[in-house]
Amino acid sequence: MLPSNVRILPNGAAGDPQTVFYHRCTIDLARGAVDIRDLPCRNLEEVLGGFGRSFQYLAARDVADAFATENPMVVNTGLLTGSNVMTGLRTYFSAYSPLKVSNTGLPAAMWSAGSGKFGTKLKWAGLDELILENKADHPVIIVIRESDTGPQVELRPADHLLGKYCHEKILTLYAEYPDAHFAAIGPAGEHYNACYYAAIALSTENLLKTGDDKCRWAGRGGMGAVLGSKNVIGIVAEATDRIAKLSPETRALNKEIATGPGSRKFREKTRGGLGGTWANYEPLEQFHMVPQNNFRPTGDGKPALMFRDALEDDFVIKAESCYRCGINCHKNIYERKADGSKGAFRAKFDYEPLNLLSTNAGVHDPDEVWPLVALIDHLGMDSISCGTTINYVLDYNARHPDAPVFNGATFGDADKIRELIEQVGTGQLPDLGQGSKRLSEQLGETAYAMHCKGLELPAYVPDTNPGYPWAIAGGHMSMATYMLVAMEGNTSLDYWVQAITERGLLVVRDDLLGVCKFAGLNAEVAARCLGDEIGLHVTRAELLAAVRRAFIRALWLERKQGYTRDDYTMPAQVFDNPNPAIKAEPFVTREFFAALSDRVWEVFDREIASLPPVEDEATG
Amino acid sequence: MQRQSNAVRIRLPALFADRIDGTSTVEVTATTVADALRALTDRHAELTPLVWTGDSALNPLMILFLNNRQLVRSGLDETVHPGDQLEIIPAIEGG
Repeated sequence: MLPSNVRILPNGAAGDPQTVFYHRCTIDLARGAVDIRDLPCRNLEEVLGGFGRSFQYLAARDVADAFATENPMVVNTGLLTGSNVMTGLRTYFSAYSPLKVSNTGLPAAMWSAGSGKFGTKLKWAGLDELILENKADHPVIIVIRESDTGPQVELRPADHLLGKYCHEKILTLYAEYPDAHFAAIGPAGEHYNACYYAAIALSTENLLKTGDDKCRWAGRGGMGAVLGSKNVIGIVAEATDRIAKLSPETRALNKEIATGPGSRKFREKTRGGLGGTWANYEPLEQFHMVPQNNFRPTGDGKPALMFRDALEDDFVIKAESCYRCGINCHKNIYERKADGSKGAFRAKFDYEPLNLLSTNAGVHDPDEVWPLVALIDHLGMDSISCGTTINYVLDYNARHPDAPVFNGATFGDADKIRELIEQVGTGQLPDLGQGSKRLSEQLGETAYAMHCKGLELPAYVPDTNPGYPWAIAGGHMSMATYMLVAMEGNTSLDYWVQAITERGLLVVRDDLLGVCKFAGLNAEVAARCLGDEIGLHVTRAELLAAVRRAFIRALWLERKQGYTRDDYTMPAQVFDNPNPAIKAEPFVTREFFAALSDRVWEVFDREIASLPPVEDEATG
Repeated sequence: MQRQSNAVRIRLPALFADRIDGTSTVEVTATTVADALRALTDRHAELTPLVWTGDSALNPLMILFLNNRQLVRSGLDETVHPGDQLEIIPAIEGG
């Protein structure tokens, strides 16, 4: 059995969540007061953890400004975080987001997930959840340490960390806390008021060992900005490693995760894989669906310049991993020395940051691209939101050569793009740092601002995905409809209603459980491993019902923050100016989308209305 | 699932398994890769649009592995034997 803090009373079961307790620490940052207690769960979503729990906490709050003291930040884990299940490494940061806002201006609840080893250490230090209330009056770090009497939590000054890059902060803290792992914001988070898409870096063993910037990220929704607004520069979780003996069931499961079909896409070709998310380039290019020049593929063949094979001669590409993960999904590129050997680390080339800072920005020289990818990480920004917002600016300037904005950068201007990244990440360009929704409204040209509900789109063209508006926490990570047109080619209304309301939303399951989506667990296996590893016996149907309730509750919470049907729409360019270069039927017309919206809301409205009420938290 | 004799084992990723109530392994009797896939979709029609295009060609975004060896597209004609293991994997995935 795993060393989990979650305690299941004898004979406890999913049918009675009150028999399951988790360990929460609440810090009032203004007073420095720490409260640690066990809480019983109110429903299965709370038992599972992640946003299933944090959104119920956020739902009880009235928050009108993401940077106001009344916006709590919930740092929590999933039931499988810190367990022996491979990829059970996730930490979730949840709060009302500065970036995701309704048209009324009210902030929406958001979660962002990251791996690395921080979540595991947090759990081993004795906490399932950390809630940050109010705001510290000076920059602090939160230090959490295990002890014989339970977790010890204190605030310490963080002045010595200010101004440093994310990985530099982490390395500085590592010298002070050698048994710990870390969450930290970068300069962008310190300048939260001018950079709403600041992210949170999570340490990996690889980073601590090599000193290279190999953080993993809770990137989406500006959770780094919220942490910065609370004057929290970093969180330290210190505990000795507690590796429990593997059960035969978990050993078999881990073997399946590391070698089975679920993770094959993300593994190296030399290990029978397809080469990671980077390898999305080739199949998407078959359909001219690789985003180019602000999500407007041209069919000119230039995406091929970023195919992995095209870079093999100039760089050494190495697959590396998070803690005890056999998938090795990190595709890190290194200088290739004259003798062919590996030189200095350059950057990580996952599909999203790579595309959004290369092909989609009109930059096709990898020697110009990697410094952009690396700089966004150093400064601690979400590469999706930062990249997509900058791509909007490049597009705007291409359309307005006589009246450009900012430094006049347009597609292909790598030096000027680098300048924009540097300036926005250090708080010098607040207009750019507010994200593409607000910026495009300010400039009066919203049609080609690639966001839904204020969250910038990931590197999959919206022309093929009318499911984007229903994503809760990021266009592809919380609504798995982004590849369906290429995959199945079905553009019927019935198909899309089903894709969104029955299948797409279930991708958020892993955002409760604490495992990475790259493990590729199907729901049956996920339910079984909760029993094998945790002793929580739930059926596949019970698990999926809980995930669905969590998603529906998140929709309800959007409505609470002023969302109306008008908020759930697509960039107007998709409707009004279909891209003939894309090799798929242009089906997302205004008429189609209106009919889709009617049908989707018919399903979701009914479920929102019948959501079971959640009782107030027990206070004892 | 009970192992059948003369069976080819098809292992399915979550994209497929979650459409057929969590079934992640299907055993079929077949002599070629194409036969095996047809047997899969005969048994689980919900998977047809993932496996085949409208004109019954292999979905261009699916990649096949036979006994851990990636097949080229003409590999549909390859002979399979009892005990072989076939995987069908989507070429696009993110997260």
